[in-house]
Amino acid sequence: MPMFTKLAHKTSTAAKSSGQTAAKTAAAAAAAKGNVTSPAGKHFLDNTRWQKRLQKELMSLLKEPPPGVTVDVDQAHTKLTEWVVHMEGAAGTLYEGEKFQLQFKFSPKYPFDSPEVIFVGENIPIHPHIYSNGHICLSILTEDWSPALSVQAICLSIISMLSSCKEKKRPPDNSYYVKTCSANPKKTKWWYHDDTV
Amino acid sequence: MATAGPSSSSSHSESSNNASGGAEGGEDEAPDNSNFECNICLDTAKDAVISMCGHLFCWPCLHQWLETRPNNQTCPVCKAAISRDKVIPLYGRGSGNQQDPRDKLPPRPPGQRTEPEPQNSFMPGFGFGDGGGFQFHFGIGAFPFGIFTTFNNWGGGAAVPPEMERELPQLLQYILLIMAFFFYWNLFFG
Ligand SMILES: [Zn+2]
Ligand SMILES: [Zn+2]
Repeated sequence: MPMFTKLAHKTSTAAKSSGQTAAKTAAAAAAAKGNVTSPAGKHFLDNTRWQKRLQKELMSLLKEPPPGVTVDVDQAHTKLTEWVVHMEGAAGTLYEGEKFQLQFKFSPKYPFDSPEVIFVGENIPIHPHIYSNGHICLSILTEDWSPALSVQAICLSIISMLSSCKEKKRPPDNSYYVKTCSANPKKTKWWYHDDTV
Repeated sequence: MATAGPSSSSSHSESSNNASGGAEGGEDEAPDNSNFECNICLDTAKDAVISMCGHLFCWPCLHQWLETRPNNQTCPVCKAAISRDKVIPLYGRGSGNQQDPRDKLPPRPPGQRTEPEPQNSFMPGFGFGDGGGFQFHFGIGAFPFGIFTTFNNWGGGAAVPPEMERELPQLLQYILLIMAFFFYWNLFFG
């Protein structure tokens, strides 16, 4: 069964509030300059409100990214509903010097529906809650998602999940899960439980 | 999307929020307005309501969230219990007619589930028609339940809330099982 700790969840809520404040100020600044435009404006989101929200989030991630985080703007501009975020392992943690890539996919129901977030690329962090196929067991990505969360909050949450890791290892059920799971982690019935890893 | 009545929007027309009609580029609010941004769309709150826990939303945004989880209505920001009857509409000076925003709800976006008549409303939720969906994931979760959670639910119309999944008629469960069978049949022999 996929594993999850409440530890990861708690750090994530802490990250949430700071991320949100940052997102708001940055978004407001970006909006004030009047430069929030989208070349990809007419993609899947038929609802302009949510397009605007994604654009605001993109701007704020550009202006005030969490430490070690950069968003691939060209990619996001090509397709507003699919982002690639580069992440560096924080200094002083087990992942110092490592580089990772996160893929975000937003459904037409975003932000009421959580984005689909997985690690992609060569280097998938070795972590007790990250499967070797890039799936992440983190409750805010499924049942604890709230539309007040953001890409920024998710990034912060994942950073803190990595930073608090004491031992690099895969989840105990990694090989079974990777063989049987859907490509979309949101289709997994994650079994969240308290776990003392 | 959020339709302000013509009278209410005219009073502060040039400053803001008409942009929600789809205008791109030149954006609305001033930096100091961020305290009055909706916690869901991150735009200046429109038809604003405030929860008992003090969090600000556009009514259309909050309504959509409450509809998403009818059995577990919590504040998106602080997870406090929240409900339609316990939010307070905010009327600023410029808000023209002081109609309760909860009464002038915009029509729900197409594809959202409407209350009764389960027979018609849950089928589109499985995303049969929307191309490329239709994935299975066995192995995790109890079998009959797991199967429903694995249909591609993106882009289709109705979301199927958890309580409906449990009430699906027996017949439909069998149909789905048979479809799963053919899916795997194709995988192995097709
Ligand atoms: Zn809103
Ligand atoms: Zn609240």
